[in-house]
Amino acid sequence: MPDTNKFKIPFGPQHPALKEPVSFSLALKGERIMGVGIRLGYNHRGIEKACEERTYIQDLYLIERICGICSHSHSTCFVQAVEEIAAVEVPKRALYIRTLIAELERVHSHLLWLGVAGHEIGFDTLLMYAWRDREVVMDLLALLTGNRVNYGINTIGGVRRDISGEQIEEILKGVDILEERTKYYIEVATQETTIIKRLSGVGVVSYEDALKLDAVGPTARASGVDRDVRRDDPYAVYGELHFDVITDKHCDVYGRTVVRVKELMESYKIIRQCLKQLPDGSIAIKVPRKIPVGEAISRYEAPRGEDVHYVKSNGSEKPERVKVRAPTLANVQAVKHMLKDRFLADMPIVIAAIDPCFSCTDRLISVKGVNSKNKKIITWEALRAYGIDWYRGRGIDFTKISNDLRKRLEGI
Amino acid sequence: MGLIKKAVNWARIKSPWILHFNTGACNACDIEIIAALTPRYDLERFGVILKGTPRHADILVCSGPVTRQIEDRLVRIYEQMAEPKFVIAVGTCACSGGVFSGCYNVKGGIKSVIPVSAFIPGCPASPKAIIDGVVKLLSSLEEKPKK
Amino acid sequence: MPYEEDVKQKLTSKFAYLEGNARVTRPRRIFLEAETKNFLEIFEYLVKQLNFTHLCAITGLDEQDKLSFIYHLAGESGVLVNLKTSVPKENPVLKSVISYFLGAEIYERELIDLLGAKIEGLPAGNRYPLTDDWPVGQFPLRKDWKPAMDKESEVGKDA
Repeated sequence: MPDTNKFKIPFGPQHPALKEPVSFSLALKGERIMGVGIRLGYNHRGIEKACEERTYIQDLYLIERICGICSHSHSTCFVQAVEEIAAVEVPKRALYIRTLIAELERVHSHLLWLGVAGHEIGFDTLLMYAWRDREVVMDLLALLTGNRVNYGINTIGGVRRDISGEQIEEILKGVDILEERTKYYIEVATQETTIIKRLSGVGVVSYEDALKLDAVGPTARASGVDRDVRRDDPYAVYGELHFDVITDKHCDVYGRTVVRVKELMESYKIIRQCLKQLPDGSIAIKVPRKIPVGEAISRYEAPRGEDVHYVKSNGSEKPERVKVRAPTLANVQAVKHMLKDRFLADMPIVIAAIDPCFSCTDRLISVKGVNSKNKKIITWEALRAYGIDWYRGRGIDFTKISNDLRKRLEGI
Repeated sequence: MGLIKKAVNWARIKSPWILHFNTGACNACDIEIIAALTPRYDLERFGVILKGTPRHADILVCSGPVTRQIEDRLVRIYEQMAEPKFVIAVGTCACSGGVFSGCYNVKGGIKSVIPVSAFIPGCPASPKAIIDGVVKLLSSLEEKPKK
Repeated sequence: MPYEEDVKQKLTSKFAYLEGNARVTRPRRIFLEAETKNFLEIFEYLVKQLNFTHLCAITGLDEQDKLSFIYHLAGESGVLVNLKTSVPKENPVLKSVISYFLGAEIYERELIDLLGAKIEGLPAGNRYPLTDDWPVGQFPLRKDWKPAMDKESEVGKDA
């Protein structure tokens, strides 16, 4: 089975003299997590500072690369703020194309997540199928934008590429296929007892706590928090489209899974509407290189949750200040809460369930007994394997649903 | 080259074990590396297996522009690999720092820290380019062992 | 009346000093500026009385002789209030809003690391996002800081 955990720590026991702090440090009592410390910053690249030294257009390409999985989210959120300061009216057709790419990105991201979540719990068949389906979306994105990832479709004032009638046909075909397959994922997620047993009660965040911790995106919606920037603070053309905001009352990883697979169906709905209502017209309006003095704050519902960009301009070609608050930063505070008093075996899926995007290179976990001085450092891989074995010992086995899924999905 | 060396080399070419490491990248190259291992592209048909530890790896596949925090760890991983070992820099950031060159906290490309055997540019590098790069490295091993 | 106008009216009638310092820049966006001494009472009013229950982010800015902080609060109907306050650079002391929003902790740590803000009321915890060995007194987001400054002052490390 290919090892496709993007959160892997690729190496074994660390040298005790390693001066870098680990990413998570856990205090354990037996198998229970009593305390969690989180250390972030491994992916800090100094982007906000770099933005001040580059022009707005250069910043567009830099900001797109904050995260490769939700690059369009960051790019669009930024460009919306700049366009607001410049007080330009972006052509409707461009806004529709932006929305279309945004939803295609959501589909690829949620399918990616589904595969990763499957991998974390030992359900690798799900990984294979979800990533196979994801290739349908990757093909569509490459068809429309010229690249599989980092689409570069935005420019200040609109989009850079138009979309043809043939491309529209391709997209509709692709969405039809994906919708059929997604229906099975929903069935698996909502009805298979093994999945329900494995994911229920894990990573719990109550409705009140989700509000207190200011969680965003599917993580918050799975706790019943009815928040979605697309509906609450509409941007692009979401104000003209009909879609449901999916919430769930389970408050746990199971709920987060249900929210994401159902959101896939909503995305297909939105994509079809965009294509049907796509107006004629130009795809960009010319915006001067120097942006007038002003400030704006833009919000966007990225696959992981609310993305916030603040831009302040000083009348020159380069911004005065660019601030980015990515969704994972808002959700990571909730993780400490989710892990408290849970089993060590839950850690991989709890963290995976917030769909973290800290381009995690090095999820090293340090564990020590509450009353002991000995500290051990374990790798993500080892922890993942531990979690799978621990639950297998408690009757969680994915062989049967793997076979079921295989039977249903072959031939679609 | 001697018979033993030839056999070891042949084994290495037939089934290189790789270790994937992200040194502060945006994840785009990483998901393309992983996509290269999924059935559509299937790097495994070249005998490539993804391993979890540097001690078992022949090739270190790196993405990212090397942030300050990660630099020591990258060096340590490289040192933990047994000779002969090779490094592939995947993506423009890994080759030269990419869009992040000049940013504080970014060193700028894998080669600024450890020696690199192959560079695969692209932003991100597509799975096809990654396979092409890995195959090119492997075929260069056939001619003479690299140090 | 659109909700943002309603909010603006409530704020200016409750806090007379906000008259002239509150602008509606477009639908669903209000920008307010207040002195530090008044900041917390406006914050409390927004959060507790006007139901602005979501702190989206805190932006720190270097404005020459002062450091400014904008608290972006989201409320009903998608309205975003951007409350700005400033402190002098030589003594950039601010009170934490962690008692209102647990999530504020990491945003405030970022202000401490990158701008050199001094935030009172935070519990002990890891810094974010800079490394533990980052040179003291160097704040990357300040305008007078240039990349490579951190390398000049490092002892025993290759550039």
